[in-house]
Amino acid sequence: MAERVYIDADVLILGGGTSGCIAAWEARQAGGDDLKIVILEKAFIRHSGCLSAGMNALNMYINQGTPEDYVSYVRYDICGAPIREDIILSVAGEVNDTVKLMESAGLPMKKKEDGRYLNRGKWNIEVNGSLLKPVTASKAFEAGAEIYNRVYITELIIKDGACVGAVGFGVRDGKFYICRGKVTLLCTGGAAGLWRPNNRRDAHHRIWYFPFNCGSAYAMCKRAGAEMTSFEMRLVPIRTKDTFSPTGTMSIGMGAPMVNALGEEFMEKDPYYVSWGGHTAPTPIRMLAFQRETLAHRGPIYLDTTKGDPAKVTGLKGQYLDMSPCIVLYWGCNDIDPSKEPIEIDGGDPYLVGAHAGMSGAWTKGITRETTVQRLYVSGDALGAAPSRFISGSWTCGRIAARHMVKALKENNYQFADIEDDLCDTLEDRTFGPLKRYQEKSAEGLWSDGTLMSGITHKDMESRMQKIMEEYCGGRTHWYFVNETYLGIARKQISRMRQDQLQYLCARDLHELQLSWDVINRLDVCQLVIEHMSYRKETRFPGYVNRTDYPEPDPEFDCFVNSVWDRKTDEVRCFKVPYEQVVPGDRKKQSI
Amino acid sequence: MPPKVDPTKCDGCQGESEPLCEQVCPGNLMTLHKETMKAIIRDKSDCWDCMTCTKACPRQAIQTVLQYQLAYFPGKLIPLVGTNSVTWTSIDCHGRVERFVMKTLVSGDDEDED
Repeated sequence: MAERVYIDADVLILGGGTSGCIAAWEARQAGGDDLKIVILEKAFIRHSGCLSAGMNALNMYINQGTPEDYVSYVRYDICGAPIREDIILSVAGEVNDTVKLMESAGLPMKKKEDGRYLNRGKWNIEVNGSLLKPVTASKAFEAGAEIYNRVYITELIIKDGACVGAVGFGVRDGKFYICRGKVTLLCTGGAAGLWRPNNRRDAHHRIWYFPFNCGSAYAMCKRAGAEMTSFEMRLVPIRTKDTFSPTGTMSIGMGAPMVNALGEEFMEKDPYYVSWGGHTAPTPIRMLAFQRETLAHRGPIYLDTTKGDPAKVTGLKGQYLDMSPCIVLYWGCNDIDPSKEPIEIDGGDPYLVGAHAGMSGAWTKGITRETTVQRLYVSGDALGAAPSRFISGSWTCGRIAARHMVKALKENNYQFADIEDDLCDTLEDRTFGPLKRYQEKSAEGLWSDGTLMSGITHKDMESRMQKIMEEYCGGRTHWYFVNETYLGIARKQISRMRQDQLQYLCARDLHELQLSWDVINRLDVCQLVIEHMSYRKETRFPGYVNRTDYPEPDPEFDCFVNSVWDRKTDEVRCFKVPYEQVVPGDRKKQSI
Repeated sequence: MPPKVDPTKCDGCQGESEPLCEQVCPGNLMTLHKETMKAIIRDKSDCWDCMTCTKACPRQAIQTVLQYQLAYFPGKLIPLVGTNSVTWTSIDCHGRVERFVMKTLVSGDDEDED
């Protein structure tokens, strides 16, 4: 048995990222001095997660128009598809206030001569955000939150249909953490690493999304029996070739158009793309165009930085140093000068995200951010059906979630639940399972290279999982195509891994235990993705999921696809949930 | 773009409970080699290239090097962290130098907070 650490919190925050840190701050404002706020973070809170390399813009800011106009834009950007307009509206209403708050916390904002924030396109503003994460974390320190670094949460504690806490292990100290929360906020990010990345071997983590986000929020919500949404609506990125750095700095920042090998601006040429808005067509449509151009042998595809605003190209390297410094090194090493030649782009491995141009996550009640599991709240990438919130929207969502949590805490007078020893023992066995197995199985013999004769490593499992997802669930090398037959194979293979093979997963040390849990969580997310894709028998988001057996949108599916996992049968039951249009207007057009 | 540690500069952050690079790495990748007592990366292929370790190293012992499959030798990118800015020096494969000073904070107040 591991040494145990018991933690009690009024507000328990799992994940010290974009949402979690600001949620702590807002919980203090709303809940007063006596509220005990705890954050558990699997890395080091000042430098963890998606923001660790920095960011050069905030992609959600109401520069013009109204919050309703932003909703209209988000709806359009995912092909007029269903979104939770109530949630987006709640974020858009206070995102500007949040940005002001972060400016006062020390974030350097770029400004125009009139003192207003420097906009990038319609909805973005530019920042010097290389220290965005420490600035974000400073709000959690300011709130006096109790912060535990290097604790990996493995499971939520559910009693009588309510979340009463969580357990995990110390990545450094190997202790078993038993945390009780009167209310719990789960915000541990989205999921990378389900599909095979473009770069191999020593560059396999040179991907766009943060590779250490393994979908643990999705997996834990699923295992807790929460209603999940939109796992078929994955994000398929087009990014700079090789480094997979973000492209908005060039496409929105300097107006660099996509061109093919013939130099044609195909977004403004093909009537289908033009009907969607040309260069600024919805994100999935731009992805689709990239795919079609390449498949028509008009690749490579570029962002033509030589045609954009020449004044902007000089600042390009500086902007990338604030967010993705490796591309500046890449350009230097490969003699690439973006002012003299266009920058090649490529399609990357798909991701599950809730706050970027994807909308997978937990389903929530109204605008409370409470999931269908009582006392369990989600924010950031874990919150489903509300895309395009990005960093500033995730900060804001953390604030909104915190206010609702404090309100529920006061209204319902929630108390700490008793957690029986039996339950603690079961959760501890499960948490340390791969580590314990390594010890048991190493007694059964080692090969001459030191590997287990009767065990599998996290790396082997990850490779197997990525191969299945790549080849049968629409990976990059399959041009994101799927059909029911492929999905059937993916379902069969991922089920076998989950049901039969996890018993062989072994971890030599605490670092490998962390990576083993990453695989366990990813496999749960794979199951959600396969079942959701299979249920949505149409193609609503071309470019993201291309169903060759149902290539057109079907009005029958003009709704959300939600699901609940049945622990007993291991089945994911999918069902339709109607979309409600809150903001009037043409769903396939931007209002401004 | 894994971090490479110069053993002649790294002192294992003596006096710290663990080296700064190990403290900050979002992927839990940096650790101290038991025999040499120098920082090493557990698995260079797992690095995301955020450069947090490179910026945090108090002895500038860490250089972030691009994987050769992606980029030619011997280009370099060196950050030097100041109170409210980072000075980046880019040296391409032909020795051409470019320098960039990027603002990081409005004030230095929260730099010491932990």
